[in-house]
Amino acid sequence: LQPPEKPLQAEEWNRLRESFQSPEIFEEVMLNSMVKCNSPIDVAKSLLTHVAKSNGDIAYTLLVKYLALCVQHGQTSEIHDVYDIMKMRFKILDSGAYNLVIRGLSNSDQWRMALTVLEEVKKIMNPSRTNYESCIRAASRHQEMNLAFELYHEMLAKDLVPTLDILQALFDFSRGLKGAELQKELFGILLYLRENQIYPHKTFMWSIKLWFESIPGGNWRGHLTNIKDSGQCPVCNHQLEDSDLTEEEYNNLRERIIKDVIHGTDTFRKTSPQEFETFQTFVENRLPFDIVIDGLNVSHIKPRKLQCENLFDAVNCLAKKNARLLVLGRKHMLINSSNWKREIMREMQNKAEFFFAENISEDDAFLLYATLQSGKHCKFVTRDFLRDHKACLSDSVTRHLFRKWQRGHQIVLKKILLSVFIQQPAFCYDVVVQTTGDTWHIPYKDAFEEKYSYQIPRKWLCIQQKW
Amino acid sequence: MQSANMLLKKILRSSVLPFATQHGMKKDLFPLSRTLSLSLCLKQDSSCSPSEKLDLDAWKKVMKSGLQEEVGEKVSESKELSTLAGAREILEMWRRAGRSVPENISEEQLKTFMECPSKSAKKKYLKFLHLKELYKKNDKRKMEEKRKRLETKEQAPKTDETRRNSFVCLWSSVMDRAYNWRAAQSMIFGQPLVFDMSYEKDMSVREVANTVKQIVLSEGCNRRSVDPFHIHFCNFKDDSLYHKEFIKHYRDAWGKLLITVTDQCYTEVFPKDKLIYLTADSPKVMKTFDHNKIYIVGSMVDKSIKTGVSLARAKRLGLETAALPLEKYLLWNSGAKNLTLDQMMHILLTLKDTGDWKKALEFVPKRKYCGFVNKPVNELKKTLNLINALKLGKRQEEVRKQFVKNYSKKLLQK
Repeated sequence: LQPPEKPLQAEEWNRLRESFQSPEIFEEVMLNSMVKCNSPIDVAKSLLTHVAKSNGDIAYTLLVKYLALCVQHGQTSEIHDVYDIMKMRFKILDSGAYNLVIRGLSNSDQWRMALTVLEEVKKIMNPSRTNYESCIRAASRHQEMNLAFELYHEMLAKDLVPTLDILQALFDFSRGLKGAELQKELFGILLYLRENQIYPHKTFMWSIKLWFESIPGGNWRGHLTNIKDSGQCPVCNHQLEDSDLTEEEYNNLRERIIKDVIHGTDTFRKTSPQEFETFQTFVENRLPFDIVIDGLNVSHIKPRKLQCENLFDAVNCLAKKNARLLVLGRKHMLINSSNWKREIMREMQNKAEFFFAENISEDDAFLLYATLQSGKHCKFVTRDFLRDHKACLSDSVTRHLFRKWQRGHQIVLKKILLSVFIQQPAFCYDVVVQTTGDTWHIPYKDAFEEKYSYQIPRKWLCIQQKW
Repeated sequence: MQSANMLLKKILRSSVLPFATQHGMKKDLFPLSRTLSLSLCLKQDSSCSPSEKLDLDAWKKVMKSGLQEEVGEKVSESKELSTLAGAREILEMWRRAGRSVPENISEEQLKTFMECPSKSAKKKYLKFLHLKELYKKNDKRKMEEKRKRLETKEQAPKTDETRRNSFVCLWSSVMDRAYNWRAAQSMIFGQPLVFDMSYEKDMSVREVANTVKQIVLSEGCNRRSVDPFHIHFCNFKDDSLYHKEFIKHYRDAWGKLLITVTDQCYTEVFPKDKLIYLTADSPKVMKTFDHNKIYIVGSMVDKSIKTGVSLARAKRLGLETAALPLEKYLLWNSGAKNLTLDQMMHILLTLKDTGDWKKALEFVPKRKYCGFVNKPVNELKKTLNLINALKLGKRQEEVRKQFVKNYSKKLLQK
């Protein structure tokens, strides 16, 4: 349905309406397509006038759609009018209409009006984060940073997750402003990124960099760089935080893994109490291990090869330097079959410890347990992302700990060519926003590169203060 | 005449018209004004374009007029919007905005709505109520139509010709008695079938309601079958949610059902070695239906796919488990392998009567599979051989080509 280009008379609207296949929704469809085509407001007005004159009333949906069109065109006075009419007609509006009003007004010079609308929304329901976004942007655009941060804290208190755009706006509009309080707030945002393991994208990173460099008298300098594998920043030679958890975090994570992942709601779902107990004593008697291997996962790396050969190669590859290995498998691996040759299995058992779980038990849970029990130096090998186990953890703090621990302790075997395995080492430094007071290191994502949650950014922003 | 026209024109332009339309003067005024204004246009300023003449903001006046009385009451009711009335108002606005919200909502539903933990939960619940309302309305409409049709039929002259028949027409009650007779027999001689009613805490309220509905359906089709099972509800607690829902469905008939309900576990009622727990997670696949075993079905609807819950239960009690051989007989398409309880019942009944897997698995919903596997063993062997050949790396390209050829043939056969 193509909206007309010019305002129409009542008769013309009538004619159009009758030619439409389902006249009862004609106005809605017409206004929808006007919003889509960004038609001039006058056209919509003429339609509304026609509707008002023939029905004596205009349905709420039509008003909301018209409002959307006004917001699109940035017609502040019109938004006002519609809002007044709506307020007169209805006690409250729905969240969609409030969204539009707030967005429309916050982009105009009457942005303070948006704040009063926000207050109204608060009386009725929880404002959405886009509501806050509009208001925060408006406030910071007018350099009212205190107000902006007040709103920002308010939304955090309501458990709303701020979009990166909000955070970026706060940095952008604080550029060049003075004030210790403001600086503290913005550092607070960086720490928020750290706590929630959020990586800024490239443009956001630029905003951060420019803000730092604009602090009057701050003498901050930012450089883009790549961190060495050793965890040293090539620009300032600063050694990044290592990926180890603290003693307390480590113990906490271990307990939660046992409680949430292995036992969960019912121990029988993943293993059985007897089996877990035998595994526990097995591990206790042989501690500590250096590397724990998920046997079945590794054995599928090269589909062309026998599964036991794959495992054999992996064990050989990892068995250097007297490392103590533990291979987890299932009982079916012990039965001599085309994929699992007895001789090879026997040979491997000389090089590594083996534990075979029941065929219907989950070996991943054992993998996590054995690794955590062995201590901080212990690593594990699997190609699995362990997402389902992470999901079993009940709170987000522990999930972040798990992610961090996983980054530092998971080795991934990669095949190259036909015969050799190569280890992709675990990171020895922690990829997270970090500071020492006079330096900041901020990992960032190129918008198009790292799009999977398990991929960690390799690029860093190094900011240091020079006197 | 001229002055009269001018007057009318003034009336048209001023805000009196909207007021007039509000009060029903529209009909009297419009035809007159239209012709007059048209003639005016022609006479006086034929150059004026329609858009100039159009008062684009006229709708605002319409909307603003005639609303004074509502404004008055608005002021008093601004505070208590967090209460039920407030929620009701929000819903009303959502409905006006065209979201799926039911027209009528009871106090109780409103409370459950407010207790929903998140926005999306609220939305889902409302949509559920909305659809329910729609279905109800449709049913009502259909009933109405049917009644009307019957009425018109009755008015038509009757052909008075009572057929002679040796039976009095008492179908349904006679059938009921026959079914009950069979069910009673099954309670003495029939093969037991256990519904494990211990999953209440694994389910949401709605899932429990769905479970009970499915069990009611299963019980119905069991009763109507030629050789019914003797149904046992084990681990059944009085005053549980299950119980409440059953009473909602059966009302007085709940006490008269020809099934065994017990709070004991099946392991206390039957010898352990005869029990087989049916669960989709079982590593063992059922080959044949054993008439001497007692099958257990978990009374659970899990919409969130909680894997391994019933398998864990069987493991804990050390029971044998089995899964239906869906993979073996069906080319699975999509959907979870867990079936509804009434589908399970249909399948088990058919297996019991005929032992024919193909017939039994007809009750698997058609959307879940593409078709039946014809020669399962042969086919499997062929692919196995091929895979082995590929692994050993003998003439790899050739083998692969052959595989592709065979595979496409297989597809064509389908």
